[in-house]
Amino acid sequence: MATSSEEVLLVVKRVRQKKQDGALYLMAERVAWAPEGKDRFSVSHLYADIRCQKISPDGKSKIQLQLVLHTGETTNFHFTSESSAMKDRDAAKDLLQQLLPKFKRKANKELEEKNRMLQEDPLLFQLYKDLVVSQVISAEEFWANRVSMNSVDHSLTNSKQEVGISAAFLADVRPQTDGCNGLRYNLTSDIIESIFRTYPAVKQKYGENVPHNLTEKEFWTRFFQSHYFHRDRISTGSQDLFAECGKLDEQGLKSMVGQGVRNSMVDLTSLEDKSLDEGYGISSGPSTSSHNKTLKENSNAAIIKRFNHHSAMVLATGLRKQDAQNEQNGETSSTDGNSKDSDFFQPSVKKVKLQEAIEYADLEQENGRKPVALNLKKSDRYSHGPTPVQCQQYATSQDIINSVNCIRHEIADYTPRLTQVLSSSTASTAIAALSPGGVLMQGGTQQAINQMVPNDTQCELKHLYVAAGELLRHFWSCFPVNTPFLEEKVVKMRSNLERFQVTKLCPFQEKMQRQYLSTNLTGHLEEMLQTAYNKFHAWQTRRMLRKT
Amino acid sequence: MASDDELSLLVIVVDVNPIWWGQQAQREPEFTLSKCMDAVMVMSNAHLVMTRSNKLAIIASHCRESHFLYPNKHWKAGDFAGDESSCGSRDGKYELLTVGNDLISEEIKNLMERTEVRGQQTETLLAGSLAKALCYIHRVTKELDAGQEMKSRILVIKAADDSALQYMNFMNVIFAAQKQSILIDACVLDADSGLLQQACDITGGLYLKVPQKIALAQYLLWVFLPDSDQRSQLVLPPPVHVDYRAACFCHRNLIEIGYVCSVCLSIFCNFSPICTTCETAFKIALPHAMKAKKKKLKPTT
Repeated sequence: MATSSEEVLLVVKRVRQKKQDGALYLMAERVAWAPEGKDRFSVSHLYADIRCQKISPDGKSKIQLQLVLHTGETTNFHFTSESSAMKDRDAAKDLLQQLLPKFKRKANKELEEKNRMLQEDPLLFQLYKDLVVSQVISAEEFWANRVSMNSVDHSLTNSKQEVGISAAFLADVRPQTDGCNGLRYNLTSDIIESIFRTYPAVKQKYGENVPHNLTEKEFWTRFFQSHYFHRDRISTGSQDLFAECGKLDEQGLKSMVGQGVRNSMVDLTSLEDKSLDEGYGISSGPSTSSHNKTLKENSNAAIIKRFNHHSAMVLATGLRKQDAQNEQNGETSSTDGNSKDSDFFQPSVKKVKLQEAIEYADLEQENGRKPVALNLKKSDRYSHGPTPVQCQQYATSQDIINSVNCIRHEIADYTPRLTQVLSSSTASTAIAALSPGGVLMQGGTQQAINQMVPNDTQCELKHLYVAAGELLRHFWSCFPVNTPFLEEKVVKMRSNLERFQVTKLCPFQEKMQRQYLSTNLTGHLEEMLQTAYNKFHAWQTRRMLRKT
Repeated sequence: MASDDELSLLVIVVDVNPIWWGQQAQREPEFTLSKCMDAVMVMSNAHLVMTRSNKLAIIASHCRESHFLYPNKHWKAGDFAGDESSCGSRDGKYELLTVGNDLISEEIKNLMERTEVRGQQTETLLAGSLAKALCYIHRVTKELDAGQEMKSRILVIKAADDSALQYMNFMNVIFAAQKQSILIDACVLDADSGLLQQACDITGGLYLKVPQKIALAQYLLWVFLPDSDQRSQLVLPPPVHVDYRAACFCHRNLIEIGYVCSVCLSIFCNFSPICTTCETAFKIALPHAMKAKKKKLKPTT
């Protein structure tokens, strides 16, 4: 049974686990379950091992609670009491909800962190497989450098950007017909959050009424039923919970319009929408006063007003966050975008903008800023450029005259004899020289090394290099050896290198020999390892000498 | 007619330096300019026959001028005007080839006849010929029908030595060709040419120094006839290692590490307080410890 020092916080009878009746016990540090009639716990989990709990949805016939452990295992508990199954389950859930956060182990977070890093970086994963899984180095050494690096990065990634609100969030709540004259709205927590952020008045109402007067479900039902939500918002009787919200919105909109846009470059009031006729432009006659508008125009105006108000509120949520940060500076914040504009159009900025609009740089007069002229004294050097002197063959003028006469005579009698251009023997020698292995084809094979070695061998070689590089980096970072810790590490790294050579490099070389690859792909790797061994040997002999 | 209507233009630049070829005729009578022109004609006929839409141009690079051997501005395709004896093909060859060959031989004869060498003009005007080739390619590109694409390359058959004075023009031509994606191939008969090696390396062409001149036709057909798409499928001579080291302006020695004036970009092997080309004064403030590394520092203005 439970140890005598354990305090039992909650006992729930009639809980089935794996089709066996029993009772669930929640203790101070663990949750356990014992079958009916037995007094030993068959299932016991420490709160520290539990990652999260899940409950079955409300409509289901089976009332269940599931515990998910860090290792991925799940345990299901089925509450079967006829009268109070739901209450039992909820009580257990609430208690667990309070207890679990206290026991979240920090060490597991590190494990998750490591897993995340391995999953994100395939190279790291490959290195891990090569070095740790094949036991060349131990896991602690592998993580020794890396975990410290990444804890810094993690804090940086925590400051993520806030997700904004989609302007269509209300429209996205598409109701589904319930079959019999009803509508079903699916509200997720995202939508609820969007509604609260955009309409603080609704949030206020929620805070006032839930859970004292109404349940959450009732609140939202009323919300969607109210005319506040619907298109043609004509304020009806004050029974509606949200009529006040409607009035607040009207006031808010009026104040926004009253503030206007404090941008001296823009004059919004001169925009009119009174057109003469279709396609005939705008008439500048006196605008019709509002009571001449038809009923249809009035309701259209209402919708447009509401639409504008909604958009303004959505935009304001983004700015409200910035303003909340700016409050430390003592700035007054307003909930619409006007404050930004007024800051933006300070006199200096306005002046710059006016100047930009007036001046055109290429219409100005040239500023007589003359560039420095290039003054070349020996420009004939450029005619031959950076070429070395080549011995020119000197021809005497007599030679030249002779040659010219000779060629003139020859060409004067020239007729093309295209059937006697080439004899077969000369052609064959030429072809032999041009065939692979011929005189002119030397140096070709060395360039095709990446075509001669198969792809998987290349990949393996790359992995070997990465792994060897990692080990060698650890090895060489130990020098100069000042502390006893470094001494131990050097010795360990040397044995690691040897192990690497035996377990990884030699099989690779044998495999290459079996494939008759004559190119020496591992020569450089061996050279690097040998240099490391030599250094270690030199260090060791020096240490021996110092000791004696 | 064909669905793959990508034209291919080959411009052959033949070095016909009369002094070198005259000396060559005396050195090695079995391979003279006539033989070389025969080989070039074989190559050009082969190119024209490979695909019906292939185009060709041949430029002769002389020491006084660069002259187009083919096509001739007074001749239009399909124009068989001439006396009876030259009309039509004498040996059953494709008429275009017959006319082309006749044209080429006539032009080279005229060119060599009016050769006069004066004074110091003994070097081949290769940079000029390449520039003409680029202009021709540009013109033909502009005259294409809408939707047609053309790939062009230049084949240089080089005989005489490099001309050091044409270095700047040569490099400009190379970079212009690289910008236009025009390959420059080089077939070198005599001495290796560093400029052409650089040209081939930069534009992606092939460089070949021919070991046997009399087999020139075979080398041309094997190595330089396929165009760049086909070359990726063939086993051809590997690219040559190019020496890109610069030579200093003061001694003309090849150096690996040097000093560059930031004003006129001339290269020197030793630090001097005044650049000899543009007379700009430089100062280096060196701490004592850095004196050993002085050679590796570049001057700052």
